[in-house]
Amino acid sequence: MPWSLLDKCCEKCWHSPKTPCPDFINCSLSGPLCHSDEECAKKRKTRLEQLQHGEKGAKIKVPWTSCTLATGAEAVYQAVVDYISKRGLDITVSISGCYGLDFIDPWLEFVTKGMPTAIYANVKENSVPKLIERYFLDQDVSGAFALKEKTGNAKGEDEVPLLSELDFWRKQYRWVSRNCGIVDPESLEEYIASGGYKGLSRALKMGPDAVIDEIQKSGLRGRGGAGFPTGLKWRITRQQRGTPKYAIANADEGDPGAFMNRLLAESDPFRIVEGLTIAGYAVGASRGFIFVRAEKPLMARRLQRAVEEARKYGLLGTNILGSGFNFDIEVILSAGAFVCGEETALIAAIEGKRAWPRQRPPYPAEKGLWGQPTVINNVETLAHVATIMAEGAEKFAALGSDRTKGTKMFCVTGAVKRTGAYEVPIGVTIRILVEELAGGAPDGVKIKAVQIGGPSGGCIPASLLDLQVDYETLQSAGAIMGSGGVVAISDENCMVDVAKFFLTFTSAESCGKCMPCRVGLRVMWSILDKITQGKGQEEDLEVLKQLAETVRSTSLCALGGTAPNPVLSTLRYFMDEYEAHIKKGVCPANVCAALVTYLIDEDMCIGCGQCAMNCPANAISKLASGKYRIDQSLCVKCGTCYVVCPVRAVKKTSCSGGGGNG
Amino acid sequence: MVKVKIDGVTIEVEPGTSVLAAAEKAGLRIPHLCVVKGIYEGASCRLCLVKTPTGRLFPACAYYVYRDEEFISDSLDLRIERKVNFEFILKFHRMECWLCPRKGNCLLAKLSKELAVEGTPVCAECPLSPEECLLTKGVPCLGPITLSGCDAECVESGGPCWGCRGPISRVDVLENAFSRYRELGIDTETILRKADIFWNSLPEFEVVKKVFNRVRTS
Repeated sequence: MPWSLLDKCCEKCWHSPKTPCPDFINCSLSGPLCHSDEECAKKRKTRLEQLQHGEKGAKIKVPWTSCTLATGAEAVYQAVVDYISKRGLDITVSISGCYGLDFIDPWLEFVTKGMPTAIYANVKENSVPKLIERYFLDQDVSGAFALKEKTGNAKGEDEVPLLSELDFWRKQYRWVSRNCGIVDPESLEEYIASGGYKGLSRALKMGPDAVIDEIQKSGLRGRGGAGFPTGLKWRITRQQRGTPKYAIANADEGDPGAFMNRLLAESDPFRIVEGLTIAGYAVGASRGFIFVRAEKPLMARRLQRAVEEARKYGLLGTNILGSGFNFDIEVILSAGAFVCGEETALIAAIEGKRAWPRQRPPYPAEKGLWGQPTVINNVETLAHVATIMAEGAEKFAALGSDRTKGTKMFCVTGAVKRTGAYEVPIGVTIRILVEELAGGAPDGVKIKAVQIGGPSGGCIPASLLDLQVDYETLQSAGAIMGSGGVVAISDENCMVDVAKFFLTFTSAESCGKCMPCRVGLRVMWSILDKITQGKGQEEDLEVLKQLAETVRSTSLCALGGTAPNPVLSTLRYFMDEYEAHIKKGVCPANVCAALVTYLIDEDMCIGCGQCAMNCPANAISKLASGKYRIDQSLCVKCGTCYVVCPVRAVKKTSCSGGGGNG
Repeated sequence: MVKVKIDGVTIEVEPGTSVLAAAEKAGLRIPHLCVVKGIYEGASCRLCLVKTPTGRLFPACAYYVYRDEEFISDSLDLRIERKVNFEFILKFHRMECWLCPRKGNCLLAKLSKELAVEGTPVCAECPLSPEECLLTKGVPCLGPITLSGCDAECVESGGPCWGCRGPISRVDVLENAFSRYRELGIDTETILRKADIFWNSLPEFEVVKKVFNRVRTS
């Protein structure tokens, strides 16, 4: 093992977890502070340089997160290691987090001293040798996806764009995700080298009240969805008399289409641990918990490892950095239900009870875990806390809109070209997120609506894309900020079906404690199901609206309170689609199976027989002319023929009656 | 002691008392189902919702008062919310009241009367236990298909139900009732003829007949 920044530089250094030095963080970067020794200072400089370019002057970074592993990063990693050992190259291979640009997964980053750092997108394992040869041996960067800087030394530099000039990078403001994809998520040393733990050492010198003042000054609001001012929450918790107090990081991210918490925790877990430690210090807590979704095992493992590392170097435990503050963190796996993300349900789960929410007030700040004052923050909020404490509140408060300061990560998925997580200052328009960062709709389709805020968010029509993303603006438009999931819905989707889809999710995830959520959502779902079957009646819409209002206003927790949003917002903006289903028996987007008829256009049919071969109901038969025809009385409307037809001769129409070809 | 004001009535209670307990102390009735002291903390049925002057809704059973506060327990919108939530409760209730041991002492029947929700049949209020049920003696009683709310007066005085309150509109209850008639060998034609006395001009009667025919042919 080479000397690390966290090790003693010489015998004069006296820092250890038992005898902590208050200047440990600053000292390991720009030290030595307690004595002057040229040798020790040089040691640090060389090590920082090594971290930048690898110990051997050349480094390959392989992203090791759930999203890249899913696209084959493990095989790529193996190919890189195999090739390097086969050729005997002097290159360090290290893992890193993910940039959040999921459309380039799996990617590789090549770093060499004197050469521009190059990122290669969508790497296959068999192209690895070619890439390594070209970059490290021929010093040629052509074929790379983007460069981090230009040096003029490498061949083909002019053909490759700079990462910082690309639209989806330039328009981001990477504040809390600054380390994602840059540092090794399993190395505390790299985190500290990138400026980590500066926030905590600053906070410990300021005192708890000053920390809360600083957070209040920054205007930070909870990033979990509700947008409650973090500083205020901390102050209330601090003012409670009971001891002990607890601090909890809510990493139970369950929204379909949202993965910013996972991305942060897998790419930069120490920032969350640091943020939670600062929160614990500010409110006067002695124990912290990180509540992680069990379905995200890598995220849990990374956080667990981060906690252990921090403990090893005295950044958790007793007398942290000589301040007299004692704090330890435990990582807890969730019971695996969506409702566990609700703070009172989360507390019940940690206590070992069934994860049921309970009525608030009393809020967790007054009576939380085991009846004690508890502060619960989303992991993104805590990552913001660590960054604010390091960079200062003014810098954070300068970003964002009038009412909400700072930045927010958004996960843009659905009908877009560049799926990924993007961090932007709050107050940008939805259009920037969907069209400029995520690249807009794929060819051939148009974006009809954008669903913001996870399964309980609302659908905003394309005509309102210039709306600012902000807690209040979204609320007035019928959506919520939620955790920041943005799903683009194309014109190939039926909005009634979309509303039904989200209700399927929320009604299945309802914990069953309160009546409106448990039964109300089921009843709403069955009305929507009736409409998509073409059996809806006009009064159903009125009933649906009334039920949605009751469920929203009388539910126990936010799950039921927000679950009707997709229905209410589609009723508000896409009434024409509901009416088409009910009055004309037509699904305008040709999605609802009961209303769609499949026909074969005989002029286009080439008689290949693919459709007949794949039809599960044997409803397709050959005509004397050699063309094929669907027997409507047998058709089960599965859509297989529509998919398999090589010439797109199978047409979907939505006129009831099934006439024409049938 | 703190002062709780509910619908204009001021009640002095210990801090930490629930709004529901405060209301009960003053003799005010707030409908509720789920809370059982010491066993279940409540906040599930959402029938005891009360409103703060700012318009926020809280369940009275799980809202504990620590300072002077004011609530409204009865207003038009609260009644609507309660009614819808009670309909939710009835929606998935099995409703085979003629077999239920709670017969005659049914909270749901009492609440449906109080909240003006139709749904439970007369059997829910019938004082006879399932073993004494008139149907088991072969008496054509209309209780299973008639709306409750009369406290089963006819059965109380010794006779069968005549269906004067009109038919139940829930199809699943009707289906269950007709299968019960069939099971006990009661001639359904007699039942329909008897029902015709009070129901013959009601459009809902047509629904009853339809269900009856469907059950008979199935």
